[in-house]
Amino acid sequence: MTDTPDGDPATGHDQQPDDARGLVDRVERRGLSVLAVVTAAVLLVMFYYPVGTVLVEAVFVDGAATARPFLDILRDPFYLGDLAALFDGRPPADVVSDAISGGPDFGLVGFTVYQALLSTVASVTLGVPLAYVLARYEFPGRQTLRSLTILPFVLPSIMVATGFRAAFGADSPLNGVLGLVGLGPVDLLFTLEAVVIAHAFYNAPLVARVTVAAWESVDASAVETARSLGASPLRAFRDVVAPQLYPSVLMGAALSFVFTFGSFPIVLALGDAELMTVEVRVFRLVESLDYAEAAALAIVELLISLGVLYGYLRYEARQSARAREIRPLPRRRFVPDSLSVRTLLPRAGLVVYAVVALVVFVLPIASMVQASFTDTGGLTLDNYRFLLERQAEAAAFQVQPWPAVRNSLLFGAASLLVAVPMGVTVAVLTTRGYRGRKLVDAVAMAPLAVSGIVVGIGILRGLVFGIEIGPTRLVVGGVAAVVAAHAVAAYPFVVRTVAPGLERIDGTLVESARALGASRTRALVDIELPLIWPGVVAGAAFALAISMGEFSSTVVLATGTDWYTMPVAIERFIGRRLGPATAMGVVLLVVTSASFLVIDRLGGEYRDGL
Amino acid sequence: MTGSEPAVELDGVTRRYAETTAVKAVSLTVREGEFFTLVGPSGCGKTTTLRLLGGFDSPTAGAVRLAGENVSGVPPENRDIGIVFQNYALFPTMTVRENVAYGLNFADPPDGGSTADRVAELLDLVDLAGMGERDPTELSGGQQQRVALARALAPGPQLLLLDEPMSALDARLRERLRVQLQAIQTELGITTVYVTHDQEEALAISDRVAVMRSGRVEQVGEPRAVYRRPETRFVAAFLGDNNVLDGTVLDVTDRGDGVRATVRVDGTELVVRADDRRPVPGDRLSFCVRPEALVVDGATNTLTATVQSTEFLGETTRAHLDWGGTELLARTAVPLDGSVTLGFDPADAHVVAVE
Repeated sequence: MTDTPDGDPATGHDQQPDDARGLVDRVERRGLSVLAVVTAAVLLVMFYYPVGTVLVEAVFVDGAATARPFLDILRDPFYLGDLAALFDGRPPADVVSDAISGGPDFGLVGFTVYQALLSTVASVTLGVPLAYVLARYEFPGRQTLRSLTILPFVLPSIMVATGFRAAFGADSPLNGVLGLVGLGPVDLLFTLEAVVIAHAFYNAPLVARVTVAAWESVDASAVETARSLGASPLRAFRDVVAPQLYPSVLMGAALSFVFTFGSFPIVLALGDAELMTVEVRVFRLVESLDYAEAAALAIVELLISLGVLYGYLRYEARQSARAREIRPLPRRRFVPDSLSVRTLLPRAGLVVYAVVALVVFVLPIASMVQASFTDTGGLTLDNYRFLLERQAEAAAFQVQPWPAVRNSLLFGAASLLVAVPMGVTVAVLTTRGYRGRKLVDAVAMAPLAVSGIVVGIGILRGLVFGIEIGPTRLVVGGVAAVVAAHAVAAYPFVVRTVAPGLERIDGTLVESARALGASRTRALVDIELPLIWPGVVAGAAFALAISMGEFSSTVVLATGTDWYTMPVAIERFIGRRLGPATAMGVVLLVVTSASFLVIDRLGGEYRDGL
Repeated sequence: MTGSEPAVELDGVTRRYAETTAVKAVSLTVREGEFFTLVGPSGCGKTTTLRLLGGFDSPTAGAVRLAGENVSGVPPENRDIGIVFQNYALFPTMTVRENVAYGLNFADPPDGGSTADRVAELLDLVDLAGMGERDPTELSGGQQQRVALARALAPGPQLLLLDEPMSALDARLRERLRVQLQAIQTELGITTVYVTHDQEEALAISDRVAVMRSGRVEQVGEPRAVYRRPETRFVAAFLGDNNVLDGTVLDVTDRGDGVRATVRVDGTELVVRADDRRPVPGDRLSFCVRPEALVVDGATNTLTATVQSTEFLGETTRAHLDWGGTELLARTAVPLDGSVTLGFDPADAHVVAVE
């Protein structure tokens, strides 16, 4: 019990009414509930309602419910190839025998699945060795490298696509090097290979991150016990370490599949007209104002993505969560203490891997920077001069560089202000134990699974065009619409960086604070937030990067308006010549990095989450 | 195995790391079938010593011999050992049965029977019969610990290593498991090296103990001997309560019933038994007297002290005394109070090395 100011412990502080303090108390006590309600409202208006209108559009044509748009898609060989006949009423046996005899064709959906599978295999193949290096070796810069694995994930995809164009074209520096040793030239532009490698650029680090986390939570004592019982190092790895890694590798693979299945800017920019995925097709349909078919196709896509995620979550639920005290496996020095086949072989493999990793992860960005300063005649600033000229004398319909930078910064800052409180609130709500928590988690995380195009169309059709509420018409215009789309795309990452920290906090800390008289909200502010602050800062950096790089819904919402962003500008330039696009890409890289640094400085030490 | 060789021999073993030296020139032998305990405060090098025995770490200098054979460079899987860690280290992806059976992938059951029989036998031995299909995470801490013990014993190792296996358990459970562990060890006759920071546990369970401090072995011996005749001030204070006093030797006599030294401590003359070390007048001398040896109105070596506080321990009461600025502990059946006069028999005092 706290002593009262008048020094009479018997009366207690509850008998000292103080209206001003009472009000503050009440607001404080309700703080979390208020935030929760606001978050729910924002999600409802900015995500569920717009996405809902898209779905409704697919099943209501001319005011009547119909399955026609779906059936049209399912029966169209363009989408499903040989499988389309199944939905036309042909017996399955015939369909199968036809497909086998004539060489199977699975249409656009089939190709989308195929490229996603290839991309997933490439991501796992590149990601697991990286996890091995990070988890098991000690070398200068290991922590930095580990932090850098988050970078590809937040790099704007349209910029990365630009980099890939510069890196793997016929006159790329890579071919210059290959030419010197008598190889090449390699021209991967507009091939499936380029798309798959670009997908690996994004998803291999993701696979690596989740796998490193699992690897570091393997108990060295367990491995040592296996050794003491007679297992060789390889056998102990197979029996003790590997089974603890599978779930994480599988999670990385499932996420890679879902992300690459719905990939849009990469395929748009690297596949050109040759390659098309479902998401690109949806975009093309939206461009030609064919909303019903676009919506129906988007739903087919969403169902496949959700199916994979659901299958994965079912699997994950069977893996019991454990919190044990563990002693992590010791890291080996990269430079071995002794020279033998056993020490040199894995390290030689890692050197080969490092070369491949340089080509996949570093070369595209380096090539983009290099390409922005060169043309056929050598070093030049022409590409940047082009940006300045465009700024000075663009026609009204043309995209100008400065408004793109300004808009990106504006949207980024605004998205940050919306996404961070939303993310923290959802993290708090989903890390507390109560009935229905899983449902809250699923509802709050849905934006991760729904494609940006669908969100974009939904916001465009549902909010920008207006909602009729009785006699009035609620219209959410330009800026607010883009910010809403960005915030909805960004806040799940805030949740993912904040929630693990909250979960790790000893529950008795909060209980002690509340026993001492703090409200739940007060305990959150005083005890939990300072402890998870690095996670909040990381989440904010994420939110900013997602906003700055967001392309899918922005391109839908900004087309024909003055609210285009840097990624949209790159996409407009890339259609003409690579040079100005790479210069704009460098501008985007510089602005994004600078904003990252600012958040980092303002928020304290950046630590990697996710 | 010849049987004449010690089961474990450390010969001048040193383990240096970049910043610190965890083990400094330690030499020890453990006899066949012995329950041997390394005890000391945290950071004394006892766990490192155990890891050197297991082959999880290699000595910077010196030799480790198991059954007479130098095992330098021999990996853990070829050392014929079983180990139990403080955190149990049960394989989380396997059931209890799979955990216990794991070592039998690499060695036939020692009794020549089937793996299934051996696992059942071991689970029975540790009182976990019928728990084989459980997930390790479903078990209590004590049960997990016994699974870890069964797993370590299943292949019939020559040497059992136990690294603070009970420190995560509560006191009552710890005592019960201690008795069980001792019974199993005696029944199997397996050479056991046990690491603990708990001196009471070490004294209760071991055939012999080695008290370690800062990477060195301070004293090795049977629990009673080490408790009654500590060689150093550290051992005297580490094992149980003790009063360690320092003074100057005034006189040394030998009247046939042992050597007696008269020592001046803070102006008071006390007579202590000094058989082990033969001091000469003028020497600095340290000795210890157990709290239970201080008796009220003792005939010799009387001291008058003031009671500062008392703790009720059940059969006895421990009193914290102030004797002219020196803190003393006494343990008596009748609680002490106020100013008391205590004495001790010179034979109950034990001289330790001066530091």
